[in-house]
This record gives sequence, structure tokens and C-alpha cells, in this order.
Amino acid sequence: MINNAKKGREKESDAVDFTSQYNTGGADISLTDKKSYNKSAGKFEHKLITARNIYKEFTLGEVKVKALNDVSFDVYEGELIVILGPSGSGKSTLLNILGGIETVSSGYITYMDIDISSMNEKELTDFRRSNIGFIFQFYNLMPNLTALENVELAAEMSPDPLDPDELLKQVDLWERREHYPGKMSGGQQQRVAIARAICKNPDLLLCDEPTGALDIATGVQILKLLVDFNKKYNKTIMIITHNENVAKIADRVFYIKDGMIRKIVENENPADPDEVVW
Amino acid sequence: MVVENLKMAIAALVANKMRSFLTMLGIIIGIGSVIAIVAIGDTVRRIVSSIYENFGATQSIIYPNFQDDSGYRLSDDFTKDDIETLKKVFGNQLAYIDTNGSASGDVKTRMGINKVTLTGADYNFIDFQSFKITSGRFFSQSDIKQQRYVAVIEDTAALKMFGTENATGRTFRQKLNGALREFLVIGIYHLDISPVQKLFMGNNQSVSAYIPSSFFYGNDESTAFSLRIFADKSFKGEKLARFNNDFIEYLAKMKNRKKEDYYIVDVGAQMSQVDQFLGGVSVAMGGIAAISLLVGGIGIMNIMLVSVTERTREIGTRKALGATTGDILTQFLIESAVISAIGGTIGIIIASAGMSIVGALLKQSVVIKPVAVLLAVGFSAVVGIFFGIYPAQKAAKRDPIECLRYE
Repeated sequence: MINNAKKGREKESDAVDFTSQYNTGGADISLTDKKSYNKSAGKFEHKLITARNIYKEFTLGEVKVKALNDVSFDVYEGELIVILGPSGSGKSTLLNILGGIETVSSGYITYMDIDISSMNEKELTDFRRSNIGFIFQFYNLMPNLTALENVELAAEMSPDPLDPDELLKQVDLWERREHYPGKMSGGQQQRVAIARAICKNPDLLLCDEPTGALDIATGVQILKLLVDFNKKYNKTIMIITHNENVAKIADRVFYIKDGMIRKIVENENPADPDEVVW
Repeated sequence: MVVENLKMAIAALVANKMRSFLTMLGIIIGIGSVIAIVAIGDTVRRIVSSIYENFGATQSIIYPNFQDDSGYRLSDDFTKDDIETLKKVFGNQLAYIDTNGSASGDVKTRMGINKVTLTGADYNFIDFQSFKITSGRFFSQSDIKQQRYVAVIEDTAALKMFGTENATGRTFRQKLNGALREFLVIGIYHLDISPVQKLFMGNNQSVSAYIPSSFFYGNDESTAFSLRIFADKSFKGEKLARFNNDFIEYLAKMKNRKKEDYYIVDVGAQMSQVDQFLGGVSVAMGGIAAISLLVGGIGIMNIMLVSVTERTREIGTRKALGATTGDILTQFLIESAVISAIGGTIGIIIASAGMSIVGALLKQSVVIKPVAVLLAVGFSAVVGIFFGIYPAQKAAKRDPIECLRYE
């Protein structure tokens, strides 16, 4: 892992001036004008994540698959970013790497100036524990624990948790706190999952298709909760989706295809989740 | 975190009630059979040792070794003077000594003919026996000295001979030293033995009565072929063995014979031999029963492996949330330990209750040693943890990404 990080740094020196341009691996993309981004990004002045020349290769039998192919980007504190791309484009891999449950093949990522691409398993666990909140497409609640116990389980892990009771009230599920996930609708389960993720008080919330299994109305509800969390606590959120409509709520949208970021688009005026329809 | 893990473990067990119960059954049977068998072993040991104690645990019987080539001589028998000398030499250490005589023969009463075994006893013989006088009295010193024709008979003997347990004052006639004598019953005694004890003692057709030991000095009424002694009641084990050895050495010297010319049947030594043997058998049986515990443990391992596979996504999610390898490991270890501990507890309860019921039915108090119970509980927890380690490690080492992809 340390070697990978080194390799990443060497690449950095080869790369064309980072400060003026996003290195997107030479793909034909229309870059957001950096100046205009900075203008609107006055509220996003602190860099949270720096990712440079990320490669990720899997070996499936004899075949090598490049899931990420020279990906570089920055993420600022308090941003809401949507990663948009078709299935198999590498967006989940990217999210998992940022969340510290997957490692890079080469390249490097810093999180608050800490190099997470060279961390060992134990350090990554600590990193996830104190910084990252995950939300999954299929909720992934513990089936044998009640709604409240699910949230408490996450709170136990965090060094600086929020009050699980309060969060269940916020997602409007206090009345159902003693219910088991199996007795809840998809939307309710996802709200528990959001409460669980937020309750760890993470600086970065990573959501893998959070509305993917939900109908429109419920999906909008979930997006609202996420936007609320983003605005209220000024926390960074990255949402994976293949639904272009969801992208309207983002501050920036990363378009990803074949393991490469094809373009990064800034929304001057992100839409309210209520306006989103699909 | 431990509280959360315990919660999750119990929640998982409750969610699969039937499966959890069946897994526990292995441990229940294992622990139950270990406890039951150890309890049976301990109970048998106590029955046997209580039988010996009825005879007096410090009792020894001594007689000349007539099987040897040494050539038995009449002078090897014991005289009244010998007994007095031995009493003087050994003092308080020798708590009791008599001629160890007995005779049996048919006694005809109105109730019919009974075979009666007359056993000689000194006035203080009762101090070394577990029987109780229920009516009348035991022998006095003058009964012995003056060779009075009196008898103390067992309550069952009284019932057979006279049709009533209240037989003091009645008489019976029996041949003793070649002449028919009439004995006056001066006391009735009761020996408390359970049906199981009776089983161990074998079936004896004759009924028992004691008469003064002074009758048994052989034909010429001056020598006895055998001696019965009791060492001080507090003597046990090595101390008792040393006393018996000293006694026989002195006796041989006194009679101008070698030590090997006298035989000693030592109840204490016999008892500890039998006890050791039974203890060994009990441990061996317990070991065999422990095999079923092993099978139970494998059952736990099996079901835990299934559980780990079933909960792959759960493991992945917990890891993504930031659970450490240790957290996952403890979660599954606690689960298997809980199965095993609950199973062990139920096993103990069932075995103890079962043994107590059987004991009550047989009117035999059952020995369940707390040590055995503690050992069983500890062992079941060890089994749970030991057989839980492999599945738990398997769970803990899983890659979160692989787990989250798992369908």
C-alpha cells in the first residue's frame, strides 16, 4: 500500500499543473471553469479529499478489469456531490475506496491531509469508524435488531456520536423504534439506515444508490433528509446514482464512465429535492 | 461493545429458536450425561463406603495364616491373656478388641424355623457400628464377664422369629459350642439401609443376632482362632495402615512368629481400594460421556458456520460501519458461548432433577458434587468458545467488499 502511494506521488510530478486543471487522464471532457467554480464555492473553501491518479484493477480469472482508470478530483467540506454513471462504470468502486473498505491499485487519496491510500486494514477500520457514514441501496440493517438498536449499534462505534433517540425522531420513526427491519417498508428502512449513518456524526456521508430501490415519493423523502443533513451540519455527502434527475440536487456532478471521470459539472443553483421527478 | 455483542448474539438465537434449541440439545445431552454419570459414580462410592462404615471403617480381622507352609499350630490361636496384653500395649489406639466369633444355626420358634447367625460382641461394640437400639439395651460389662445367655437381635430378625419387632423379654434356643442354649432377648436394633445398599450387600437368608463375645473362646473356652479389632475412630488412610502394621508386628513377636504368619483383613484398606477403583471407573465413564459433549461442540461449530454464511451482508455492513476484526470475532464467539452456556445450564438442571427423582424413588440420597457442576459449566463454556473460534475467525477475516456484494 505504501508502494502504491509512492507510485501515486511519482505520477503527480509527471502530471500537468494540478492547481490549474483537473487531471482526468487525458479524456476528452469539458472541464468546469475553475474560476467560476471558485466564485460559487466561496462556501466550500476547505478541501476534504484530494484524489490523484487513482487506478483500480481487479483480476477476474485470467482477465484484468480496470475499474478505475486514472481518476483525480477534489472534494470540499460541505459539498453535496452526485456521482453519475451507468452500472459497471466504477462509481461504486470509487465510493468504496473513499470509504476505506477498498484499496487503490495505484494513485493516492488524502482525507483532511491524511494519506488514506497507504493505510493498513486496522488504520482503515479506525478511519471508517470515526469519519465515514455509509448508506446502501438495500439498507443493510441488522435484521435481528430493532430500529433503535440498529442506530445504537453505530453510535457505539463512533468516538463522537449523536443521540440515537434524537435522530430517530428526526427521520420520523420514533414511534417505530421497537420495530424490526423486516416489519418496515423500504423507505422506513432507508430512514433508519440514514439515522444509523448520521448518528456516527461522520464528516463524509457516502450513499450508494440510496433511492435505487424506492418509489419516487419515498426517494424524494430520502433525498430531503440527506440534503437537510448536508445543510444543517455542513457535512459532505457523495451520492452514487444512475438517475440523472437526482443529480439536480448536487453542488457538483461527477460524470463517470468506463472507470474515468468524463466531466465534472457544477450546479450554480442546486434543485430542491421536491422539484426532482423521475 | 460487549453489551451490544451480547444483545446481537441473543437476538440471533431468538430469531432462530428451533435451530438454536437443536444445537443446544447436543450440549444439554453432553453436560447432562457427564453430570448424571459422575453423580451415579459418586453415589455408588458413597453407598459402598457407607456399607463399610456400617461395619466400622477402622475394623480389622486377624487370624493365623494357615495357608502357608509355616505350619499352623494350636498355640497360634489367641488367649484371653493375649488380648489383655494387646489392650495394655496399644492403649487408646486400640479402641476395641474381641474374639471375632460367630455361629449360625436353625432356630425353631412358633413362627417356624429361621437360620440365625450369632455374632460375638463386647459391651462397647455398639460404639463402632451404625445400628441403633430401638428397644431394650445392648450388653453390659457384666453380661460379657459372666457369660450371660442374652442376645440383641435385629428388628427384621425379631419380626421373623416372633412376629413382632417388640420382642424384648422373649427367648429362643440355639446350639452354641455343641449344646443347645436358651437366649433371652434383651434388645432390638435397627440398621438403616436403603434398598440400593441392600442390593450391594447381596441377599442373605439368615437373620442376625449378637451374643456376648466371651462365648467364643473355642472348644476349650480359652483360645480364639481370630481377633476383631477397631483402631481409634480418627485413624484414616496411612495412619490406620501404620497402626495395623505395628499391631500385627507386635502380635507376631508376642506369639514368637514372623509377621507373615498372621493374616490381617483391613476394612479401611479394602474400602480405600474399592473406593479408588470406583473413582477410576467413574472418571472413565465421565470421559466416555464427555465424547457426547464433543459431538455437541461440533454441532455448535457447524451451525455457527452456517450462521456466518447467512449473515455475510451483516458482517460486511458492520465492517463498513467501522467494526474491527475483534468486534466481529467477539460477536460470534459470544453467540457460540451463549448457546453452550444455556445448553450447559439446562443440562445441569435436567441431570440434577432427574438424578434427584431417581434417588427419591430408590430412597437413596444422590451425591451431586458442586465441583462436578462447576467443572461441567466451565467445560461447556470452553466447548462453546473452542468450537466457536473457527467460525468466528472466518467471519472476522472476511473482506467487507466481498461481504457487501454477497447475495
